[in-house]
Amino acid sequence: MKNWVKIALSLLALGFITGIVVAYFLYNKPHPDYEKIDAAYTLAAADLYKEFTADKNKAGAKYNGKVVAVTGKLTKVEVKDSLTTCVFVFEQGMFGDQGVRCTMLTAYRAEAGKLQPGADLKLKGYCTGFNDTDIILDKSSIVK
Amino acid sequence: MKNLIILVFCLAAVSFSANAQKFITKTGHIKFFSESPLEKIEAHNHQVNAALDAATGDFVFKVLEKSFEFDKALMQEHFNENYVESDKYPNALFSGKITNIKDVNIAKDGVYEVNVEGKLTLHGVTQPVKQKGSIEVKGGKLIGNSKFSILLSDYNIKIPGAVANNISKTVEITIEISLEKLM
Repeated sequence: MKNWVKIALSLLALGFITGIVVAYFLYNKPHPDYEKIDAAYTLAAADLYKEFTADKNKAGAKYNGKVVAVTGKLTKVEVKDSLTTCVFVFEQGMFGDQGVRCTMLTAYRAEAGKLQPGADLKLKGYCTGFNDTDIILDKSSIVK
Repeated sequence: MKNLIILVFCLAAVSFSANAQKFITKTGHIKFFSESPLEKIEAHNHQVNAALDAATGDFVFKVLEKSFEFDKALMQEHFNENYVESDKYPNALFSGKITNIKDVNIAKDGVYEVNVEGKLTLHGVTQPVKQKGSIEVKGGKLIGNSKFSILLSDYNIKIPGAVANNISKTVEITIEISLEKLM
């Protein structure tokens, strides 16, 4: 076999293997580490709620899919099954309390579970949107 | 002044009776599952808003698409960007009725079979839905369960040709909600 054929076949094999390795890592890439991502926006939880209730489409385009940090006085902590949720309540509606609900990352569940109503807090999480009663910040962490 | 007090009392009484039969949750669970020879896809959403009026049977639930969690990050990205287009259609909504709600005795613990009829809006498309499910009355809570399948094409969700054989055209949806009385 001629040398140039060997080189071409080697390059082809190398390209094929590289393609498979890249595809494997892309397919199995990990979820983002939301605790380490800088917040795209930092604002009072009350202001975030006001923006969504004033114009949910405009606010959704701005915040949905972004990491958002909110500050405010905690209303309550809900612990249910595997979920621990820090809640800032601003209104009452057909689903009862309405406001900003921050579902905590596993690493912060124990710490969040000990928080008392009225505590001044800064939480950061992935904004999944507004369901007409609450703004959801998923994978939330406590910012110190 | 006396009339005003009576009016306030009446409004409070109406409001109380309106809430007396209303059951809600904000942490309902929806799972969707699809399986094809090459790929199994499963996602969970534990932040489902649901409300049931036990007097009328009116039932509604709302889901944020971005709250679905997948085992694989790439699947989650494709789900949001290519399939449900969650930036454009952030919510899925079911609005309907439990047609045989009179068969459910919320004062007596037990499992009751129910029929659910309504409309499901997903990916901006609304389709009629008619399914069976169950409600378990347990310690003052109503635990609802239902499982049904939808055809992705009914909701104008297109599967790209390159992966058409790897992804099932139907998706099985499982709903588990634990509703508590609204105080």
